[in-house]
Amino acid sequence: MDFYLGLLQIIGVHTLLGLSAYIVLLTGQVSMAQAGFYAIGAYVAAMCTAMFGFHILPAIIVAGLVTAAIACVVGFPALRVKGLMLVVATLAFGEMVRLFFFNLTWQVERGGGLIGPNGAEGFRAIRFFPENGWEIWHVTGFIWIVVAVVMGALWWIDNTRAGAVLRAVGHDETAAQSIGLNLTAVKVGAMTLGGLIAGMGGGIYAHTVTHIEHAVFGVLLATFAIAYPILGGLGSVFGTLIAVIFIQGFLVEGLRFIGDWRSLLFGALIVLAMNFRPTGLLGERMPRLFKRRGADKLELKEAE
Amino acid sequence: MDYFFFIDLIQSTVDGLLFGTTYALIGIGFTLIFGVMRKLNLAYGAAALAGTYIGLVIYLMFDAHPALVFLASAIGSGAIGLIVYLCCFRFTPSDYPMASLLASVGMLLFIDEVVIHASHGLPYPYPSVFRDAIIEVGDVWVRGDLLFVFFMCVVAMAVLFWLLYRTPLGLATRAVSQQPRAAQLCGIDVTRVNMMTFGIAGILGGVAGAMTAAAVGVLSPVIAMGLTVKGLIVVVIGGLGSIPGAIIGGLLVGAAENIFLLLRGVTERDIYVMLLLFIFLTLRPGGLFGNAQTRD
Repeated sequence: MDFYLGLLQIIGVHTLLGLSAYIVLLTGQVSMAQAGFYAIGAYVAAMCTAMFGFHILPAIIVAGLVTAAIACVVGFPALRVKGLMLVVATLAFGEMVRLFFFNLTWQVERGGGLIGPNGAEGFRAIRFFPENGWEIWHVTGFIWIVVAVVMGALWWIDNTRAGAVLRAVGHDETAAQSIGLNLTAVKVGAMTLGGLIAGMGGGIYAHTVTHIEHAVFGVLLATFAIAYPILGGLGSVFGTLIAVIFIQGFLVEGLRFIGDWRSLLFGALIVLAMNFRPTGLLGERMPRLFKRRGADKLELKEAE
Repeated sequence: MDYFFFIDLIQSTVDGLLFGTTYALIGIGFTLIFGVMRKLNLAYGAAALAGTYIGLVIYLMFDAHPALVFLASAIGSGAIGLIVYLCCFRFTPSDYPMASLLASVGMLLFIDEVVIHASHGLPYPYPSVFRDAIIEVGDVWVRGDLLFVFFMCVVAMAVLFWLLYRTPLGLATRAVSQQPRAAQLCGIDVTRVNMMTFGIAGILGGVAGAMTAAAVGVLSPVIAMGLTVKGLIVVVIGGLGSIPGAIIGGLLVGAAENIFLLLRGVTERDIYVMLLLFIFLTLRPGGLFGNAQTRD
């Protein structure tokens, strides 16, 4: 039973990671910086609880806000470029964050030992949950409450004007600009929100594994982050959730018996999926079930 | 600032400039593909690495001459480039760039894992030439193997320029990169040009991979990520789609990297290279030689 609860925890934190990329992808930007934001969230939240004795909830909120602020600051220069250049810029940012934590050593004395990030060795002993007597199902429940809140908020955003604005920018920037949308504000806003979610996800992640190090937050994690929403489809938040359940639940855990070959399978699966279903599992638009009938009859074909 | 520090600085810069030509080659590969297809092929560095491993297999199995090993690396990488094109770009929709981008990322992971599996993640020795030769210019030493790397990369670039500007294939390639639709109307087979571009870019990548391995002396899977990230940085600094930009960018990154290595040490080196990239993005988003970005 504990195994499945642990798996649910992994799925939960990865869903947050995927959702953070989802909101940025809605504006048509591919950000490889999500692993970097996740790392910032993880280190900040771990510092808050392990070094300064915060409770987990404020720690995660602080982590989310700090990450959101950094995402906002990074967003301005990074979003001056678009499309493919942004991929490079965010990839470089993610690597920069990883290397920063690789070089960061800052330890304080607490409870008779040194605690804090220690360079290449990473940040050990983030023991908020065991120290406060949280059972594994408490932790799992806590994670899924956060996931549910975030998913609900994104679902709500999707169905309001803000969602339409995000999708308008993602679909055609020039058209969006011509109806008076402020592209920079929309993109930086999406990036900030993505940073907030990634920071919270990273904060929770740090506490579930108790030991974080720079190597975890590499390009592979950034790839996972953008792969979830794209594989699942940008139609709705559930695409991301389904993709995370499939990849983490089936591909990583379910196929554990084939050993290391799984990572081979992951790459091959992405290639196959993009060839056969390029817009993802649920497609680019909302699934029909949730839509007014005949809504897409009014749609215009975009001229190339 | 004493004399020896100054000599060290010049020494680092010279080494960096010589080695920077491999970055320039990788950058040219990215730029070529982007110029023709308007798409980013993130699997490119991994394909270059896999090609280099093909050369290594020939070296280990037949104990072949280094020249043959380098040739096999280049051709192998070209072939893998074609496979990448067929798997990631040929059949994905052209108006939905995310699909091909993610497919190439998938391919990057796939190739990387295949190489790690095949080599068990261990580094292998890679043949080099002129290892012991050193040319002394005053107090600055120029390593023979680095000079060879530099020379090979310059030759590869010269061949590329000849291909692009003196052959019908080059004319077709440039036509497609300027106006794909008009090129198609003139009877150019765009798919064929795309394939050739991937092949040529792959060969350049193979040369770059082989030269990187020859300069380092060992080949290990970790250089794939380095090649990819550095290549992308070079392209951004030089301007996407510009070949002279990629060359200048490659030399600049090579030199900057070595200077930061001297000043700040190996663990912090890459941070400063990334910072350099960010400065360029902020101050000159189009790159050194890039034209203003139009609607894409």
